[in-house]
Amino acid sequence: MKCPRCLRPVDHEAASCYSCGYSEADAAAVFGANQVLLNRVHDAAHCLRKQERDTLGETLDMLEVKFPQMLFCVYLGALPPKLGLSELGFWLLNHGQVKGAEYARPNENGILVVMDLNRKQIGISLGYFAETLISEEDAYRALTAARPNLVNSEFGEAIERIFLKLGKVLDRQGRKLKKLTREQLQATLSGAKNTLLDLPPHLSPPKLLPKPPSQEDDARVSELMSA
Amino acid sequence: MKRSLAILLLASVACGSLHARIELPEWDSAADAGSYSLGGGLWPERLIPGGASENRAVAETDPDFVGPPAPPLPSPDTGLAGTEAPAVPSSPGPFYGPVAGTEEGPDLSLQRVRENPDGTFTVPEEEVAEVEAYEPLPPLEGELADLYFAHAPVEFLIDPQRLLTEQKSNDIMRFLEFHSDESKIRIYIMSFGENQKIPADIDIQALHQKWFSDSPAVLMLYYREQPQLTELVFNESIRDSLPKSVFDRILQNCLREGAVADLAPDQVEKMAIELSIQLYWLSRLMEQEKDGGKALERASSIHELVASPDAPELLREYAPGIFIDENGKALTFVLAVVFILGGLAAVGCVAWVVMWWRGRENVSGEPLLFPEFRIAHRLGGEYCGGGFVSMSFELNEGSA
Repeated sequence: MKCPRCLRPVDHEAASCYSCGYSEADAAAVFGANQVLLNRVHDAAHCLRKQERDTLGETLDMLEVKFPQMLFCVYLGALPPKLGLSELGFWLLNHGQVKGAEYARPNENGILVVMDLNRKQIGISLGYFAETLISEEDAYRALTAARPNLVNSEFGEAIERIFLKLGKVLDRQGRKLKKLTREQLQATLSGAKNTLLDLPPHLSPPKLLPKPPSQEDDARVSELMSA
Repeated sequence: MKRSLAILLLASVACGSLHARIELPEWDSAADAGSYSLGGGLWPERLIPGGASENRAVAETDPDFVGPPAPPLPSPDTGLAGTEAPAVPSSPGPFYGPVAGTEEGPDLSLQRVRENPDGTFTVPEEEVAEVEAYEPLPPLEGELADLYFAHAPVEFLIDPQRLLTEQKSNDIMRFLEFHSDESKIRIYIMSFGENQKIPADIDIQALHQKWFSDSPAVLMLYYREQPQLTELVFNESIRDSLPKSVFDRILQNCLREGAVADLAPDQVEKMAIELSIQLYWLSRLMEQEKDGGKALERASSIHELVASPDAPELLREYAPGIFIDENGKALTFVLAVVFILGGLAAVGCVAWVVMWWRGRENVSGEPLLFPEFRIAHRLGGEYCGGGFVSMSFELNEGSA
C-alpha cells in the first residue's frame, strides 16, 4: 500500500505514514471530520448526461446484483489544484455514506471511482476488503481500458467500462477463491505472508560495524600520548 | 459201392478236362485272309503306316501268328496286288485321316529306339539340320546404293535386296499404305543387311530433307535382325516442334517392339505398327501445339505444356513430364487459395470469438459471495487504508 499523500509504501498495519506521517486525522483536518452523504453516481462536476447516468446506473445495478457484498460508487468533481485525488478518495471512503447502500455493503467493500476534471485525472479508491480482491495492476488495467473514452470526454461510457472491467476481475477472483481451502483462503485474504513492509530490497551493501580496538592499538595510543 | 462210383465220376471229369481246348476264331481260308483290311476299310490300306506289310511278313515266317493277315501290296500298275481285294476307295477323294509317309508319325521315331540286353534303350542321335547362315551381302556401293539412295522412294518399303519374305513385304506395304491414308506423317522403311553400312558420302538427313521436304515423313532404317541399330529420321520441322525426349521415347518404343520378334520380317512388321501408333499420338500432340501451345510454350517451360484432354495413358507414358494438365493445375491453385483463405477466415473467426469472450464486459450469472474476514486498519482509516490507483487522461501526460 502507499501513502495517499506522499505515495510512499506503507505497512499494512501502520497507524501513519512512516515518511510524511499522514493519517486519517490529517485527511479529516483538510476535508472535515463529519460524514457526508453521497449518491451512487455523485456528479459534482455535472459532466454526465441523463442518458449516460441512467446507463451507468443500470450497469451498477447489474454489478450489485452479481456482487451483493460490494459497493460501487463514483465521484466526479472539479477539484482545486492543491487537493490530491488519492487523499479525496481516502477521505470519501472513510467519511462518505452512499445513498441506498445496504448494511451488507459497508464502505470497506467499496470501489470508488474518483475523477478530477480540472487536472484530467481519474483514480480508483478501494476499501480494505476490495483491496484484497482487486490488485493495483487490475485496477490500472481497468483505467487504461477506459482511456479512449476519457480522452473523447465520454465519461459515462468510460466509468461504465471501468466498472465492468473490475466486475470481471471480481468474478475471476471469486471463482479462484472458491477453489482454495480454508487455510489457503485465510492466508491469502489476511495477507499473512506480507506482514512486513512490501518494500523493495535495498541494493546498497550493508554498512560494516567498526572493529573493536585490539591491545596493540592500545599500546600504540599510549605511546603517542606519552610522547 | 458209393466210394467206387465217386472215384469213377472223378476220373471221368479229370479225363474230360484234359481233352478240353479253347475255341479260338480261325480264318476260313487263306484266300479270305487277304480280304481283311486294318481299320475296317475306313481309309486306304496303303496309307496305313507299315502295319499291313509287317503283318504279312510275320504271317509268312511264323506259322503261329494269329494276327490279322496283311493286305496285298499295291503295285504301280493296278494299285493293289491282290485280285480279291475288298472294295477299298482308291479314288483321290477328300481324305481327312492320317497321312502316310509323314515324319510326324510316332512309329518311325519309336522304331529307331533299340533295346539293349541289359534292359536299357539306345536312342540314335538325330542329325540336326543346321540353319544355314545368310549369305554375306555385298556392300552398299554402286548400283546397289543407287537402288536405295538415287531417287526418292516410290513405295513405302524399300527392300531392293529382298531381305524380307515376299508375303511379309506385301503385308507391310499394305499396312504402310493404310497408315499413309490415315496419318499425315508417312512411314518409309529401308531394309539393309546386318553388315551393310550406309556409305559415308550419303547424308541421310539431307536426303530426307530433299525427298520429303514438302510432306512430313519418317524414314526408318532397318538392319536385318539387328533392330537395335534401327534409326528414325524425321523432318526437321517436326523435330523442332517437339522436344528431343519425345523422339527418343518413340525410338525406344519401336526398338522394344522389334526386340520381341526374332525374324527380320516380324521385326519390321512390329516396328512399323508401333511407329504408326507413336506417329498418331505425335500428330495429335503437334495439333495441340499448333492450336494454343505457341504462346504457352514461350511463357512456360516444356514441362508445362497442356496435354490433350482425352490423351490416354499411352500419351502420358512416353511424355509424362510435359503433359501436365493445365486445368487441373489451375483447379489445384484455386483450391489451394480457397483452402488457405478459408483456413485464415476460420482462424480469424476463432480468434475473434476468443477475443470477444475474453474481452466481453458483460458480467452476468449467479450472485457471487466472497468469504468475509477482518483486516487490520492502517493510517487510521475505518474503511479505507489509502488503496488508490490513478491515471491521467490528459493527452500530453502519462499515467500517475
